[in-house]
Amino acid sequence: MADEAYPADAHDYESEAEELERVDSAMRDTPRGALVVSGIAVALLMLGWLILYFFVFIPRGTVG
Amino acid sequence: MAVSERAILKSEIRWAWVVGGIVAVILGAILFAALSMGMNPPSNREFVDPKTLHLSSEFTEANLGTSVDPNGRIVARMITTQFEFVPNCIVLPADRDVTLRFASPDVIHGILITGTNVNTMVIPGYVAQVHTRLTKTGDLLMPCHEYCGLGHSQMLATVRVVPPEQFRPDSQGRVSCGDDR
Repeated sequence: MADEAYPADAHDYESEAEELERVDSAMRDTPRGALVVSGIAVALLMLGWLILYFFVFIPRGTVG
Repeated sequence: MAVSERAILKSEIRWAWVVGGIVAVILGAILFAALSMGMNPPSNREFVDPKTLHLSSEFTEANLGTSVDPNGRIVARMITTQFEFVPNCIVLPADRDVTLRFASPDVIHGILITGTNVNTMVIPGYVAQVHTRLTKTGDLLMPCHEYCGLGHSQMLATVRVVPPEQFRPDSQGRVSCGDDR
């Protein structure tokens, strides 16, 4: 059953050129944003690991 | 202009290098600690018969606790049993290499000394051994950290770390916490 609120041919752009431009912009910005978000997350994780390793684990003394 | 498939591939390869670098840093830190400081997971493959633990030469009652070998090696021996440590207090010197040896006659126990990296399981049939060097003085809590039965939460011991000059073995080479324990 078709969704009447969002018909298949509904769009909010004026021309095909504008649509292409918006697709281009999404395809340009999305991977960049994903890289920034994952980069920050991994950097924070790595920072946490290094802090725990050098300031908690190593000062607790040797074992073997 | 949208990001091309080629550019996406390039960024994925770059990301793989970053992840490879992170793995190399972590492995490097672990190797550095292992080679320069001798930090390794405690591993000891040594068997002991749990049925005759109290009769075997090493873990008889008279041998338990801290002792100094004739060659100067400091060894603390403990039995972990439901639901106590025998003895429940040991004395160790700070800033000296010590060896902890544990055996269990009943079920699997686990020990850790709070605030240190000492942490091992004690499995019946095996001697658990940890070499360490304690730096902080004071009474450190040593709980059982492997659920061993209904009294598990009551299974605690004390590791009394004293300054090296206060670590005085008796004529038998033994050091204990005193009469209060």
